[in-house]
Amino acid sequence: MTLLWIPLLSLLGSLISSMTGKLTRNQSTGLTMLLPVTALLMTINLAPAVFSGDVIRETISWIPLLGIDIAFRLDGLALLFVFMILGIGILVIFYARYYLSSNDSMPKLYAYLLLFMTAMLGIVMSNNVIQLWFFWELTSISSFLLISYWWQKPEARKGAIMALTVTGGGGLALLAGLLLLGDIVGSYNLDIILASREIIQAHAWYEVTLILVLLGAFTKSAQFPFHFWLPHAMAAPTPVSAYLHSATMVKAGIFLLARFYPALAGTDMWFILVSLTGLTTLLFGAYVALFKHDLKGLLAYSTISHLGLITLLFGLDTKLAAVAAIFHIINHATFKASLFMATGIIDHETGTRDMRKLNGMWRFMPYTATLAMVAAAAMAGVPLLNGFLSKEMFFAETLHQQLLGSMSWLIPVFATIAGALAVAYSARFIHDVFFNGDPIGLPKQPSEPPRYMRVPIEILVALCLLVGIFPSFIIDDILTAASFAVLGGYVPEFEVALWHGFNLPLLMSAIAVGGGLLLYTQRRYLFQFQASLPSLSAKKGFDDSIYAMTKWCQRKINDIENGSLQRYLMLIFLVVLLFAGGPLFEMSQVGGQKQLTPIDVHNAMGAALLMVGAISTVIWYRKRVVSLLMISVVGLMVSVAFTRFSAPDLALTQLTVEVVTIVLLMLALFFLPQHTPRESSSMRVVRDVGISVTLGVVVASICYALITRPLESISDFFIANAKTGGGGTNVVNVILVDFRGFDTLGEICVLGIAALGIYKLLINLPLFIPAKDSEGRPWAKERYPILLASISQSLLPLALMVSFYIFLRGHNLPGGGFIAGLVTAIAFILQYIAHGSNWISERLTINYRKIIASGIAIALFTGVGSWFFGKTFMTTWYDYFDIPFIGEIELASALVFDLGVYITVVGATLMILASLGQLTTNASKKEVKN
Amino acid sequence: MIQNLTFLPILLPMLAGVFLLMPPFGTNKKSRRFASVLLSAVTFLASLALLLKVQADGIQVYAIGDWSAPFGIVLVADPLSTLLVCLTALLGFVCALYASAGDDEKGSFFYPLLHFLILGVNGAFLTGDAFNLFVFFEVLLIASYSLLMHGGDKRNTRAALHYVILNLVGSAVFLIALAILYGVLGTLNMADMAQKVALLQGDDIYLAKIGGLLLLVVFALKGALLPLHLWLPNTYATAMPVVAALFAIMTKVGVYSMMRVYTLIFGEEAGELTHMAQSWLWWLALATIAMGAVGVLASKDLRKLVANLVIVSVGTLVALVAVQTIEASSAAIYYLVHSTLVTAALFLLADLIGRQRGETSDRITAGPPVSQPRLLGVCFLIAGIAVIGMPPLSGFIGKVWLLKATLNLEYTMVFWPLYLLASLAILLGVSKAGSTVFWNHKTKVSETLEQKRVHPSQLVALIILISGAPLMAIFAGPLSEYAIGAATQLHDFNNIKVILSGGQ
Amino acid sequence: MELLYASCVGLLVTCGVFLILRSRTFTVVLGLTMLSYAVNLFLFSSGRLSLNKAAVLGYSSEYADPLPQALVLTAIVIGFAMTAFVVILAIRGQTDLGSDHVDGHTPNKKSTQNKKVKV
Repeated sequence: MTLLWIPLLSLLGSLISSMTGKLTRNQSTGLTMLLPVTALLMTINLAPAVFSGDVIRETISWIPLLGIDIAFRLDGLALLFVFMILGIGILVIFYARYYLSSNDSMPKLYAYLLLFMTAMLGIVMSNNVIQLWFFWELTSISSFLLISYWWQKPEARKGAIMALTVTGGGGLALLAGLLLLGDIVGSYNLDIILASREIIQAHAWYEVTLILVLLGAFTKSAQFPFHFWLPHAMAAPTPVSAYLHSATMVKAGIFLLARFYPALAGTDMWFILVSLTGLTTLLFGAYVALFKHDLKGLLAYSTISHLGLITLLFGLDTKLAAVAAIFHIINHATFKASLFMATGIIDHETGTRDMRKLNGMWRFMPYTATLAMVAAAAMAGVPLLNGFLSKEMFFAETLHQQLLGSMSWLIPVFATIAGALAVAYSARFIHDVFFNGDPIGLPKQPSEPPRYMRVPIEILVALCLLVGIFPSFIIDDILTAASFAVLGGYVPEFEVALWHGFNLPLLMSAIAVGGGLLLYTQRRYLFQFQASLPSLSAKKGFDDSIYAMTKWCQRKINDIENGSLQRYLMLIFLVVLLFAGGPLFEMSQVGGQKQLTPIDVHNAMGAALLMVGAISTVIWYRKRVVSLLMISVVGLMVSVAFTRFSAPDLALTQLTVEVVTIVLLMLALFFLPQHTPRESSSMRVVRDVGISVTLGVVVASICYALITRPLESISDFFIANAKTGGGGTNVVNVILVDFRGFDTLGEICVLGIAALGIYKLLINLPLFIPAKDSEGRPWAKERYPILLASISQSLLPLALMVSFYIFLRGHNLPGGGFIAGLVTAIAFILQYIAHGSNWISERLTINYRKIIASGIAIALFTGVGSWFFGKTFMTTWYDYFDIPFIGEIELASALVFDLGVYITVVGATLMILASLGQLTTNASKKEVKN
Repeated sequence: MIQNLTFLPILLPMLAGVFLLMPPFGTNKKSRRFASVLLSAVTFLASLALLLKVQADGIQVYAIGDWSAPFGIVLVADPLSTLLVCLTALLGFVCALYASAGDDEKGSFFYPLLHFLILGVNGAFLTGDAFNLFVFFEVLLIASYSLLMHGGDKRNTRAALHYVILNLVGSAVFLIALAILYGVLGTLNMADMAQKVALLQGDDIYLAKIGGLLLLVVFALKGALLPLHLWLPNTYATAMPVVAALFAIMTKVGVYSMMRVYTLIFGEEAGELTHMAQSWLWWLALATIAMGAVGVLASKDLRKLVANLVIVSVGTLVALVAVQTIEASSAAIYYLVHSTLVTAALFLLADLIGRQRGETSDRITAGPPVSQPRLLGVCFLIAGIAVIGMPPLSGFIGKVWLLKATLNLEYTMVFWPLYLLASLAILLGVSKAGSTVFWNHKTKVSETLEQKRVHPSQLVALIILISGAPLMAIFAGPLSEYAIGAATQLHDFNNIKVILSGGQ
Repeated sequence: MELLYASCVGLLVTCGVFLILRSRTFTVVLGLTMLSYAVNLFLFSSGRLSLNKAAVLGYSSEYADPLPQALVLTAIVIGFAMTAFVVILAIRGQTDLGSDHVDGHTPNKKSTQNKKVKV
């Protein structure tokens, strides 16, 4: 399990360091470094095996069904990166201990750093591409946290979001690419993917896949035109920049190129895309770097340019180019990390990074200066330093490519120019900062930094020198191993040496150095030219585009979700029209085979009444009371229709419900305006008429189509079993309380909940009471007419009798709990109307809530009761008893259930109307008072 | 008892609802809170037990009143429905817990309504009968209407008015659809319907088609599918966050019903009507995703943001439903659970953040710093990563899975770019919101603004929801097995015989 | 007869939808009530029309389809509950928002402009 431990250790390290808040800085640093160091030792221990050419693998099953496993793999390339990530990581941790000021939280930085380290290790060691993406995105997240470490600064927040957006977007593209890759090959396993180059490159999706993967790589490694996030990531503390922009974050993109080189490279498309992107970035970065006054800005753009160089090398279609690329990865990591650290020191000691202020630092910190200058020289590619060697190889390779056909000579020319620019900005870094007169208005008096703050730089610079002087001795093994992995098992003959004799590359170097120095000395013309150009800031562009996009979205949303219910409703009706109307046209004929029943005069009259009622409701809808009366006519006719078409229960229900509804609406009208203003434009009216009429026609034809077709349904079963199984002759009622009693249970729940909800709405509602009706007449003073009072009072017992009767007969004849309940309710409502709710509440103190609850409870427990007979819920039971003098009566559990229904209905209906009535009486009292 | 296990997820919430109206719970606050949380926990355990039973002995069919299908109403507990029932119960428990910190007293009957809502949702998930589905829809709707007004202000009333009226129209459409289907097929049991649909002849086919498409209107309204989604952002953003969190499951009821109806009734075996709604679902879903993404970028406060995230998730789910393959459905199932948990968590989080920022509330602008930045910040980070769909949390597995499941389609080249761009929009929206709310301080933390701290029960509730994200990632292996099993069951037409034969 | 019945249903739908599309809560409520009549009749008719065949055993030789009747009964009750709720909600809206417009405020140029500004 050693492989797994390498990332795991740094993850644990992250956890540990996050808990070292209480400890001293040294302890915390030590603890934090402990685990990465262990990991490094483990890696070193594994190295010989890898050098000898074998690949170490470990796999743990995670989501087999999706082909996602936790799979690690250590080959030459991975090993190289693991060394860089851990090595430089450890140095950075050590360095940060001296860099951070006392009011920066050290554990937080360490925790984030090690989290990031884990992610990087995960990327380079993944043997499953989805897992690779997993860690890839983790780097985006952790770098977000690192860049926004000083979150109080707006530029830190902006930089973080910019980096996250760009790399995150690239990550999405990468995911898509990897999924396609996996689908082409049939596995997400890296070994298999790397082995199946032919399949991939022959596949129709190759181009798409390549572009997507490259998008991932280029965004991460800040290639033009995705480079702009990198300079803004400089808002992070310098140790973070030193880590992210030398060895890790940006190198992840490069790693991706190297990793998939065996599988994806080798086609023209690859070479064109990669090399040209690289070339552009190389030149662009080098050029811009020259004009940056901020040290970190300079380093940022030089990083971009060097990344471009590496990318270009991967794009040159020679094996040696790939080797050179890997070599330059190592070199760039070493000198760039040390340069960032040196910058950190300067910043730390002087309080600024502006080269226009920083001058003559040599006198204040000669030692640091020396280190920095050596590193800068390496960056420039001066002999005896590692940068020189890889640059030589780079130049050599530019000469061997045939990329642009007859114009291929352009590439070495551009390469030389870039080299010159590199020399120029390196020269500027050295000369402007350490010499060039005296410092101007420094915030702090500079001096050498703490002794140990320099140690990491010393180590790195030493590496630069060693590699530069004894290349083969230091670098061969790892370079060979890495190249072996990248080139898929074949390593070309190469010799990394200081001296290749006088040759073209040497000449190019010479030109570069000479030209660079010339450029630097004559830079002021360049600066003038640059100043004449319009300055464009990537940050501003990014912010503006984000802002514009947000605004656009908000406009769109406000246009669409304009909060107009009428629009939403219209949409529903239109969709209904579309869905219901469409298939109608597919039908061969609307009418069915069933022979029609003749129209008799009663039905005709009924229908006529109904229509008149409906139409006049619409016509007079502005006079609300009138339309209310009209609609009640419609309701009445509906119940008549039910009686006519042999549905007595429905008729009764409809009738009673109608009464209650109308009373309710009447009460409501007391609070609402009695008139509807005329506001919808005639256009709107026409539109609505159109919609409603078409909808009416559609529904009508569907209805006609239905009822003119024969139907065999499951109902015969109910008729057959109503008596034998349900013990009742009124099939509808038996269905309600037995066959489909469950529906009824739900139904009374709805009723009960509605009552609760209404109570909830009306309780302590601030009252808005019209003193007069719309005609300006005050509401009647004597509110409770004596006649009505006395009649209703005498009616009450009778009504209760009736409802009891209806309830009892329900099971066998039209009636039942629900209708009975409503009759009872109506009887009580009559009392309310006659006497007012105060009069009632004095006489009967009812808690409707409890009534409703107990009603539902009774129904529910009747159902549960059947469990004790080992039956499922609501299995009914009934039997006949012969009681003397009374005769045979039937007792059915359904009856008890129906009782529950009855009680709920009474409770709910009264609760609704009472709470509303309560309002009215309060209201009118108020009105009487004033 | 054990043979009635299938019925418990419906019985228990109903009992709870009733009991909590009775003394002493009706009157005594403390006991009411305690009982309510306890009962919701019991419901969850019962649902869990049911899930295990289904895992063990396969699909459970419960004939109510001993009237077997198609004549009586049967409950059908298969891996999918039980999973969703568990999810609902969990959500109910969490919200009950969260509300017990004080939200429950901002209006009457909070707990009874909460349990009735759970009753409705569970019923809708479990029932195998079309009309019974309607009844439970109404139960959950009426409960949601009242909950929406809980502790409400003016904005609330308006949103509720819209929501209620729209849904009343929806119910009318539902009834018409059922009438048509019954009028053509002569049955109400969904399994029986599926059988009968296959045998339709002549014009009856088109009538059935109308019925099926009208059902789509209803479900689209409930699930907030374009263009019937317009009610959602306002409703969810004005509802009390704990209620909104509870509502996170309600859009899923619509999606679930689509799954059932368009894979069971109008699925593989529907003869002329096979996959009749598929292309509608697909394109509407894509439009919904785009709309949601735009909304995410446009949102000015956290709750609106989350509401739009809900819309995106609905679009994604429906798109997967439309694909009609086992792989897509299983991805949908995993994603459904993930998105429900994480959006619910985000609603609660938005509430807590809003409470600690005084006047600024949860608006995405510079404001006073929250009084518990570390706690809330970490929670937001986790929830954010999950909802964006980045590793290492459940979101990324859902994303990988659904992309994988939509790889070899006719319109992959439409869906992938759209979905990836939407993800990018979400990434941008959420990260901006987070950094603005937590890092962009206009004023120093003022003493006048009294330090609100997160109530323990709120914290527990939040953590339960948030821990879903890492757990779903760690146990993705078994979960994916479960999801694929459930999806296979969903697509297995033979289940119809099982249901009609009473579960043998 | 069937034709007459169907056209009645259609007319009710038309009136209902038209009223629902109005801008004032009370009218919308009327529309919903009207629509629910139509829906109930529609649902009822899904069992086909039959005269004097009430599904009460022993009162006639053959019976009307009882199932839709039961469904309609349930639908009526639920519809009643919903109507009641929305009526009260309308009152609540009138009191809270000071207007019985469905959007809580009468839309006029100024408010829309404000919206634009607020964008």
